[in-house]
Amino acid sequence: MQPESILLCVMFLALTAYAILGGADFGAGVWEVNTALQANEKQRRLLFSAIGPVWEANHVWLIFILVATFGAFPTAFAAICQALWLPLVLAMTGIVFRGVGFAFRSYSGGEVRQQLAWEAVFAIGSTAAPFFLGVSIGALASGKLAVSRDGRFEGDYLTGWISPLSLFTGFFVVGMCAYLSAVFLTREASQLGDRELVRLWRRRALATGFAVGALALAGIFFIAANAPLVWDGFRLRSWPLVGASVVTGFLSLVSLVVQRYRSAALAAATAVAAVIWGWAIAQYPYIVPPLISIEDAKAPTNILWLMIATVGLGALLVLPSLAYLLYLFKARHTET
Amino acid sequence: MQNVWLLATTDLSLNLLAARWQMAITLGAHIILAVFGVGMPVLLLAAEWRYLTTGDPLWKALAHRWSKVFAVLFAVGAVSGTVLSFELGLLWPTFMARFGPVIAFPFAMEGFAFFLEAIFVGIYLYGWNRLPGWAHWWCGIPIAISGVASAWFVVTVNAWMNTPRGFRLEDGVAVDIDPMLAMLNPSTGPQTAHMIVAAYMITGFMVASVYAWRLLRDPMSTYCRRAMLLGLTLGTAMTPIQFVVGDWIARRVADVQPVKLAAMEGQFQTEAGAPLRIGGLPDAVTRSTNYAIEIPGMLSWIAYGDRQAVVKGLDDFPRQNTPPVAVVHVAFQLMVGIGTLLLLLSLYVLMTSVRSRRMPDSRTFLRLLILAGPLSLVALEAGWVVTEVGRQPWVVQDIARTADMVTSAPYVGWMLVVTIAIYSVILGGTIAVLRILARAPLEDKRHAA
Repeated sequence: MQPESILLCVMFLALTAYAILGGADFGAGVWEVNTALQANEKQRRLLFSAIGPVWEANHVWLIFILVATFGAFPTAFAAICQALWLPLVLAMTGIVFRGVGFAFRSYSGGEVRQQLAWEAVFAIGSTAAPFFLGVSIGALASGKLAVSRDGRFEGDYLTGWISPLSLFTGFFVVGMCAYLSAVFLTREASQLGDRELVRLWRRRALATGFAVGALALAGIFFIAANAPLVWDGFRLRSWPLVGASVVTGFLSLVSLVVQRYRSAALAAATAVAAVIWGWAIAQYPYIVPPLISIEDAKAPTNILWLMIATVGLGALLVLPSLAYLLYLFKARHTET
Repeated sequence: MQNVWLLATTDLSLNLLAARWQMAITLGAHIILAVFGVGMPVLLLAAEWRYLTTGDPLWKALAHRWSKVFAVLFAVGAVSGTVLSFELGLLWPTFMARFGPVIAFPFAMEGFAFFLEAIFVGIYLYGWNRLPGWAHWWCGIPIAISGVASAWFVVTVNAWMNTPRGFRLEDGVAVDIDPMLAMLNPSTGPQTAHMIVAAYMITGFMVASVYAWRLLRDPMSTYCRRAMLLGLTLGTAMTPIQFVVGDWIARRVADVQPVKLAAMEGQFQTEAGAPLRIGGLPDAVTRSTNYAIEIPGMLSWIAYGDRQAVVKGLDDFPRQNTPPVAVVHVAFQLMVGIGTLLLLLSLYVLMTSVRSRRMPDSRTFLRLLILAGPLSLVALEAGWVVTEVGRQPWVVQDIARTADMVTSAPYVGWMLVVTIAIYSVILGGTIAVLRILARAPLEDKRHAA
């Protein structure tokens, strides 16, 4: 396998981890937007204690993806940053406010009004970030960004990124985050043994599950109509993954109905992973379709191999630590 | 308002101005948070270690309180760091396209260090009641190590911009890249040491400052006393080291970036036996530095170890390749001046503690100490200005001009305006939350008095 393909795989693995782990954290904020007015203190506490220990670590996947992109595919990075500067700035703003909102909220106990204000900041930021990251992905997949092969953007800086597919992807990603979060929170509520919270989040998970499922099916038409290159990829190469996503998505709903929450969480995460890898395979070997492929954008070979080695060594340190973090705060503990 | 509208244009020269200001503001904010990210874990671990060895709950209260402060600063630092990694592409796409692969390795390593840090910050902050005493303490060690590692890797990139090595240019693009040679360039050693020692020094003095202020109001508080002494110990221990490192970095700059040295010292004409100028205001029109106290031959001696050595002046370089001298010289004087004051303070603390076997705590001393923290922050920013403005007009010294690397996207000016607004909100929020934390009563009230 060529080094650029290996690194692309690694980047999509990181994106998958970010979508599942970071996505669920964003989803908690999306729910906070929708429920802030009705939620009681107990509901809030579940939500915030669920993401508290992990959100900083889950966020680093994004930094890794950024660094890997400019290190391995510098021309594509430059092109993406110019063509998608506005949605990226908006996503970045969302990420900033999500982070400071959460931290300030956590440590302003006692000052009720201030805490509520930061909670609102956290909620809006958590919704804006996945929306605009989704918009950016949709704009890339549409293949309609006016980018030349050497990475110069020749389109409209203000509106070049807007297309039916980009906006659709924005909404889809927000829905996906909300679904993941609801399923994960159902599982955590059942671990706590709180029947009332389980009922609440199970109902929300089922409702969003059906909505996001319907949205995903609609997405097939959006891609067919708006992104010919990626559509061909889906039709010819990655249809098994589309099938897998439909099946696992459906399985997660069934698991929710029969109250097998661990399976539901696993199936929902698998469905998200299948969507991302379906897109990756459909778009391969292009980073910015239809012109910039990984071949056009790649860094010199020695850099690519060095980065692969770095990723390997880094993974040896990071993955066990991450597993310990998740074990400590996400596994079922029989403590009092 | 008129000026804001002026920035919203597609004029590339204004893009450069707006992009540079945006980097200055966001990096200037991030460097403070990064300093605490490197320094605070050491103080945290020291306080918790004292608790574990003495069993005194007051030490635990201190560690617990500081872990909350650290949590806030780390979260804000993590998002401001994220902003920076986006900005690299959003503001300087040409730079990233041409040189991205050269600096990717240290950035990737920094990414992994940050990953470890974020993971163990989660474990440490939320693990107070989940992990037994020493296990919790050990989970803080990776935070301290990866904080230093992050700082080291990031500063190697800045060092590379000062003394670029490990590649060849072909049509303006870097080829034949040797990432290790690039990372371990001549500036790397002194620059990373200078930054990391500064991080410990500033954290120490800032903490000492805050608690000196509280001690003045509440002189009997054991809690504040211990906190102040812990910070003061770190700051005092680091300051003499910083002077040795500072000398190292100055000699290295003299060797590898003579034009920056000339700007730092306000040296317009090349001369043998160049004087050291203390203070003074360089005048770019008359090509001389006025109002300075000059010590004959001293600059030659500091830079090259020989009182008669020739120091190159700015006039030896083409005018379009030299940095704005007044800013660099004044910032450098500010940094060195404050550093000298802090050294005197540290020597006084060392002498008193050796002679009378206790740290000084007179009210006059506490009042001086209150100033030390904010002054050390001013020195930090001034040092940052020296290295960044002193490299202009280049982004990569003698290789790539800053003006050629900036994005051609319009609305950079608007982005700057929005950035200032966002960072003001973050600054206000950070201060508000830290004040709430400071006001909160200690968990163990019996010992707080």
